[in-house]
Amino acid sequence: MIKAANIRYVLRDSLRSVRANMLSAVFTALTLGFSLAILALFAVVFLNLNTMVTGLGDKTVIVAYVKDAALVAGPERLKAEALGVPGVSAAEFISKEAAFSELKSGFRGHEAIFEGVDANPLPASMEIKLKDSFKDPSKVTGAVERLKAMSWVEEVQYSAEWVERFSAFLRFVELGASVIGVFLAAAVLFIISNTIRLTVYARKDEIEIMRLVGASDLYIKAPFFIEGALQGFAGGLLALLMLGGAGLMLSSEIPSYLAFVVAVPISIPMLFLSLVCAGIFMGVAGSLISMGRFLKV
Amino acid sequence: MRGGFHKGNTMIQMFHVTKSYDSSTHALIDVTIKIPKGDFLFITGPSGAGKSTLLKIMFGTEAPTSGQIILDGRNYVKIPSEEIPLLRRRIGFVFQDFKLISNKTVFENVALSLQVMGVDPAETRKRVLRMLSYVKLQHRANFKPLCLSGGEQQRVAIARALVKDPAIILADEPTGNLDPALSTETIELFREVNNKGTTVVIATHDKGLIERYARRTAHLENGRLTE
Repeated sequence: MIKAANIRYVLRDSLRSVRANMLSAVFTALTLGFSLAILALFAVVFLNLNTMVTGLGDKTVIVAYVKDAALVAGPERLKAEALGVPGVSAAEFISKEAAFSELKSGFRGHEAIFEGVDANPLPASMEIKLKDSFKDPSKVTGAVERLKAMSWVEEVQYSAEWVERFSAFLRFVELGASVIGVFLAAAVLFIISNTIRLTVYARKDEIEIMRLVGASDLYIKAPFFIEGALQGFAGGLLALLMLGGAGLMLSSEIPSYLAFVVAVPISIPMLFLSLVCAGIFMGVAGSLISMGRFLKV
Repeated sequence: MRGGFHKGNTMIQMFHVTKSYDSSTHALIDVTIKIPKGDFLFITGPSGAGKSTLLKIMFGTEAPTSGQIILDGRNYVKIPSEEIPLLRRRIGFVFQDFKLISNKTVFENVALSLQVMGVDPAETRKRVLRMLSYVKLQHRANFKPLCLSGGEQQRVAIARALVKDPAIILADEPTGNLDPALSTETIELFREVNNKGTTVVIATHDKGLIERYARRTAHLENGRLTE
């Protein structure tokens, strides 16, 4: 059982240890701050690009061109078949005439270009919208394949092709960011565990004596965990300051059409909480590694 | 009952304890000994006879190669490692090299014994000051150990061992670094706590000390014990 007096002694020892090793504690916190800031920047850019791609997916419209020979079946039947495809939420039939008239209206004032065009060359089409849950590029492709397989469909066009390519690019960026993130996290854990290890070495005799007078494992290890957590907290705070400073300095340099890429998608208190929690987690994890490897006195 | 140990007449029993570091180096060979509660025992023998090893095995910082140690009714060999700190809190060990923390004051060194047990700060302060006064070091409370003489450091180590009111005191050559007058003073301290019921086991090679106090003696020679 941990007694209140133990907690007081452990907290006092932790603060003393941080004071005694102030320089290395500051360097560790700075390293952690830089790493967290870089990770957070990656996360912000990735989240914003991902949101943009999802937004583009919302605007996806599939156009299925209808074979002239199939028009005899009547628009209602074709529409019913299109609505039968999984994921389709709405279908609007555009007749050959409507398409031609729309084309002409687009060239108002330049009607001369249509002179000599006797027959309507445009095909009828079906404009198809997908349900929200089907707007993921991979699912759009599935719906397009189903439509292409229909007997009355001449050709299918959809605006999501480039969205899909961009999405593939984003997956690549995500993979890259994850790899860099893992490397950064590993480096930070190594630095923190090394700092704590040096503190453990410096206090090796003291730890041995504490064991001999009957200190429990927890009593001996707790100050090092607290030290790691304090460094982590400071690192999280520094990361927030670094991101804020970078934002202020670069905001005027970033073109307005790209500003959304670096806009923080969560509130500042949430960002603060996330960075500090991540910092504390890494600080404690670093101490844990160091304890497991070096605190066998 | 001192130090929270159970009732019963025997404090330590060792059965056929052997400690070997390799096939040809034996620190202890087939040691069997029974130490009653309240006993005052000198373990004697020349340097390298195995006295320190015997005390370390009693204290649990070294494990025997074979044999059993019953400490106040509990088999030391079978105690789970997480319970060892609890057992050590009931034993006061005075080390030959004092083992004081150099960056802590005399007060803090003595207080450590109580702090690891979770004794509250006010009670800790009271007991530490009383103990420092008992070993005549109250005027050195705020000194660091390296500012003290060898005899004073030894008394700090004794104060740290006694402050938790242990059931047993194990002392490894407690007078090894002291002049005769200080040696007598130190043994008197142990006699006083022994008179209050604490079991005391002292390892020493100082024959004059043993003759002066004429207590029960166990002799170690090349790892073998004779009484």
